[in-house]
Amino acid sequence: MKLKKYLTLTRAGIIESLQYRLSTFVMVIGNLLYLIVVYFLWRAIYNSADSDVVNGMTFYDTLIYLVLATALYGFMEIYAVWEMGRAIQSGKIVLDLLKPMEYRSHLFWSYSGTFIVNFIATFLPTFLVVAIVTHGTIHFGLNLLFFVISVVFAVSINYSIDFLVGTICLYTESIWGINIMKQMVVLLLSGATIPLAFFPDTLRTVVSYLPFQSIYNAPLTLLLNGTPDPQEVLRTIGTQIIWCIVMMLLSKGFWKVSLRQITVNGG
Amino acid sequence: MSPIIEIKNITKEFKVLNRREGLKGSLKDLFSRDYKTVRAVDNISMSIEQGEIVGYLGPNGAGKSTTIKMMTGVLEPTSGEILVSGCVPYQNRTKNAQEIGVVFGQRSQLWWSLPLIESFRILKDIYQIPDADYDSILTLYKSLVDIEPLLHKPVRQMSLGQRTLSDILAAFLHNPKIVFLDEPTIGLDVSMKSKIRTLIQALNREKHTTVILTTHDMGDVDALCERIVIIDKGRMLYDNDIEHLKRFFGSYRTLRLRIGGDLKAHAASLQTALPECTVSADEEWISVLIDESKANVPDVLAQIQAAHTIRDLQLQEIATEDVIRKIYEEGVQ
Repeated sequence: MKLKKYLTLTRAGIIESLQYRLSTFVMVIGNLLYLIVVYFLWRAIYNSADSDVVNGMTFYDTLIYLVLATALYGFMEIYAVWEMGRAIQSGKIVLDLLKPMEYRSHLFWSYSGTFIVNFIATFLPTFLVVAIVTHGTIHFGLNLLFFVISVVFAVSINYSIDFLVGTICLYTESIWGINIMKQMVVLLLSGATIPLAFFPDTLRTVVSYLPFQSIYNAPLTLLLNGTPDPQEVLRTIGTQIIWCIVMMLLSKGFWKVSLRQITVNGG
Repeated sequence: MSPIIEIKNITKEFKVLNRREGLKGSLKDLFSRDYKTVRAVDNISMSIEQGEIVGYLGPNGAGKSTTIKMMTGVLEPTSGEILVSGCVPYQNRTKNAQEIGVVFGQRSQLWWSLPLIESFRILKDIYQIPDADYDSILTLYKSLVDIEPLLHKPVRQMSLGQRTLSDILAAFLHNPKIVFLDEPTIGLDVSMKSKIRTLIQALNREKHTTVILTTHDMGDVDALCERIVIIDKGRMLYDNDIEHLKRFFGSYRTLRLRIGGDLKAHAASLQTALPECTVSADEEWISVLIDESKANVPDVLAQIQAAHTIRDLQLQEIATEDVIRKIYEEGVQ
C-alpha cells in the first residue's frame, strides 16, 4: 500500500514520456551527431599518438567507453534542476509541497518512469549495437549484473546532486548559470566526456575522492572489465553506496534547512 | 464543536531586499545586505467552523495568498498561533496535506499530458483513498456534472473552464476537511462561472467540506458565501455575514446610459423623475445609481425609456474595491 503511493508516479511517468515519442527520436539523433564528433576527435588523437594504446586504452576501448557514457548520460540526465527552477519561479512548487509526500521523493518518483523509458529506449539499443559492432569486446557475464547494480546507485547519486543544485534556486530564483555549471562539472569530473585514464595523475587523485566518478566512471568500468576482480568490484560499489548515502543526507538536509528558511522568511 | 481552523493574532513579515535603480544600483545590490521588513499579514484572528463557506476578499497584494499559505503550512507565521483541524500546519505539512485540497486559479495540479481519469487514479494512490470511497465520490461527481467526456481527455486539450472544473474535482477527491479555492472563476465566461459555483455549493453540501474562497468577483461571493472576511494591507477590515455587509455596499448597482442631446439637462430632469436614485452625467454617459432596496432596475429602465431613446446601456455591479473604499469611508461594525 505504501509503495503503491510511489509506484503510481512511476506508472504516470512512463505513460507521460511515451506521449512524447518525437522528442525521444530527436534525442537519439542528437546523440548520434555527438558520437560522430567524438569518433573523429578521438580518431585524430590516436592517429597523432605514437602507439595504438594510449593511457592503457586502445582506440576501440575509448570509443566504446564514450559511446556508452553518452548513452548513460542520455538516460540519467533528467533536468531535475530545470524542473525545480521552473516550479520555484512559477510558484507551482506550492502545489507540489501540498502533496502528502516529501517533495524530494515526489520529484524522484515522478521521474522514475522517465528513467525506465529512457533506459529501454536509448541505453539498451546503443549498448546492443555497440556490443554487436565491436564483436566480443564487451564481455557478457557477471559484469552485466554489477553494472546494473552500479547504475542504480549512480542514478541515486546523480539525482541527489541535481536536487542539491536545484535547491539553490530557492535562494537565487534563477537557474540558467547554475545548471550549466553543474552539467559541465559533472560531465567532466565524472569521466563522461573524457575517460578518467586520460586525466593527469593529480587530477585523477582529486577526482577519485569526489562523488562524480561514481556516476559514469564506476558503472562503465564495471561493465567493460570482462574479468572482474571481486575486491575491485566490492571497492567500486562500496564507494558508490557511501556516496549515495552521503549525497542523499546532504541534499535532504540542505533542502530541509532551505525550505525552513523560505517558510520563515517568505518568498 | 471546536472550529476546524483557528487563527490567533498571526502576523507574517517578509524581508525584502531594497533594490536600487540603474546598472550601478543593480551591481551594488549583488552585495547588499540592506533589507527592509514588509508586513504582509498584520495581526489577523479568525475561527472557521466545519462546513462553512468563507469568502476571503481583498484587493491585490492585500495578504490573502499569504494567509492561505500559512493555513496550508507552506509558510510559517512570524508570530501568532494557527491550528488547522487540531495541528500546526507548518510543522506537519505532509499530514496536513492529507486533510486539505487546493485550487490555485491559474495553476493546475493535474498531469498535463494525461487524461483526467489517470490524474484521478494517481491522486487516489498518492492520497491512499480506499476503493469504496473513490468509487462513491466518482459516482457523486457524475451526478453533479457531466464529466464523462472530460475523463478521457488529456488535460492540455481542455479549455480553461474544463480544467478549472477538473481541478476542483481533483481537490475534493480525497474528501479533505478543508478546500482552499484561490480565484477559481478567474477568466471564465458567465455560464462556466455559474456551473462552477453550483458545483462548489453541491460539494460543500454533500461532503460538509469547509471552503475558503478568495475572489475578486462579487458574483462568487453572492452565490456562495454566507460569511465574508475582508483584508486590506494585511489588516482585517471586516469579518461578518454577507447580509451585514450588504447594508454597506447595499444592493447598489449603477446603470449607465448613452442617450442623445444635452446630457446635463437630461440628468437633471431624470433626477427629479427618479428621486430614489442618484443621477449624474459625464461627457458620454449618464449614470444612475440605483438602491435596489428602494427601486428595481427594470422599473427605472422603463421610466427612462418612456422619455428617452436609449442607444446603449451598461449595468455595473459594485466591485470589491468599491466595497473596501466604502468601508474605509464609512467604517463598519
